[in-house]
Amino acid sequence: MTEADSRTAAARRPLCWSPRELADADLGAVVVVGSPPRAPRIAGSLRCPWVADLNQLPQDLDTLVVVGGGRRIDQAKWWRVQHRPGLRLVAIATIWGSGAENSPIAVLDHDGVKEIHLGEQYLPDVRCTFPEFAQEIPLSLARSGCGDVWTHALEGFLSPLADRPLREELAALIGDLLGLPIGRDPRWFEYSALACAAQARSSVGLVHGIAHQLEAPLRANQADGNWGHAALCSLFIYPVMCFNRQGSDRFATLAAAFGLDADGLLAHLSTLFDPVGYDRALPELRRHWAETLRDPSTRLNSVLVRPGALDYFDRRVFA
Amino acid sequence: MTNYDKLRELIQDILLLEPGEYSLGLGRGDVPTWDSLAVVSIAVGLDETFGQHPSPDEATGLKSVADIVAFLESRGLSFSD
Repeated sequence: MTEADSRTAAARRPLCWSPRELADADLGAVVVVGSPPRAPRIAGSLRCPWVADLNQLPQDLDTLVVVGGGRRIDQAKWWRVQHRPGLRLVAIATIWGSGAENSPIAVLDHDGVKEIHLGEQYLPDVRCTFPEFAQEIPLSLARSGCGDVWTHALEGFLSPLADRPLREELAALIGDLLGLPIGRDPRWFEYSALACAAQARSSVGLVHGIAHQLEAPLRANQADGNWGHAALCSLFIYPVMCFNRQGSDRFATLAAAFGLDADGLLAHLSTLFDPVGYDRALPELRRHWAETLRDPSTRLNSVLVRPGALDYFDRRVFA
Repeated sequence: MTNYDKLRELIQDILLLEPGEYSLGLGRGDVPTWDSLAVVSIAVGLDETFGQHPSPDEATGLKSVADIVAFLESRGLSFSD
């Protein structure tokens, strides 16, 4: 895919429906896929069948409603492209963070190895938000999701690939995020979708590079921890943004140019920082630093990440 | 530290070169790490290290260390020492 294709894919957007619009829509033969309790509940409200797995879907189908987090939605996006390209796909996120319901990117996880697909064919046709899901999200996962949204917004804003219109858009979004409490609030669903779609027009950076490289080893070596992608983004966004700020004047210059308070941003992000989790993750960061340096996201960080940068994180210079 | 030394350290760090791999004649086809992402990293690194940010077209045209030296000299930096 060329850069132009990528920009075209990022410019298209799924329709955004309310639950009422979804219930009233003519969906034809429809099936809901996802885990209990939310997927069967939505299937009940649509008076349609529910299945737990994509392989259980019937052949005669007009609309697939996928209910889940980013991994589940991305699987459905990829599955449709591979098996039923004409199928209408409705994505309902049960948690914020990934923004998969509004993104032309499908990330598949093969035992910790990420396979990334990009193209407008991966965009769902419709995204639909159920605000009441917000109160059902465990608080720790909700906070991690907030960190993931923040990471998309800030890394997309600071990216060397971002242009002025995108930065204006993301600066406005970041301004809104500053007024949004970290935790369970249904507004995060919409900001998650917007941040992810905007970020897809530039790049992510070192926070994602670290998350990509540490998720599998942390899951394998510290099975008792919550080491999902969002949790790692949430854990590292504050240290990485401090690193970005001290590494060059780019952070401060861009923040000032777009009306953002750099100090206020960092103070807000510090509330996401978990020193205990950081201490547990740091040995894996040391062990996987070489891979982190080579990660494509790291290489598109707003500040150059050189081999010696590990020392900044190792000595907790930001703390 | 001379500009030459600064550039050597920068390119070694971006391209993750082994000792001895760096030379003025090093070009894009010589190491696998000099790919399209490295073009962006080099642009960011030149800005951070020398205060000179190439435009996207200029960055794409930097196909060797010698090209980078020529670009920086065109912006008034000296590599004669």
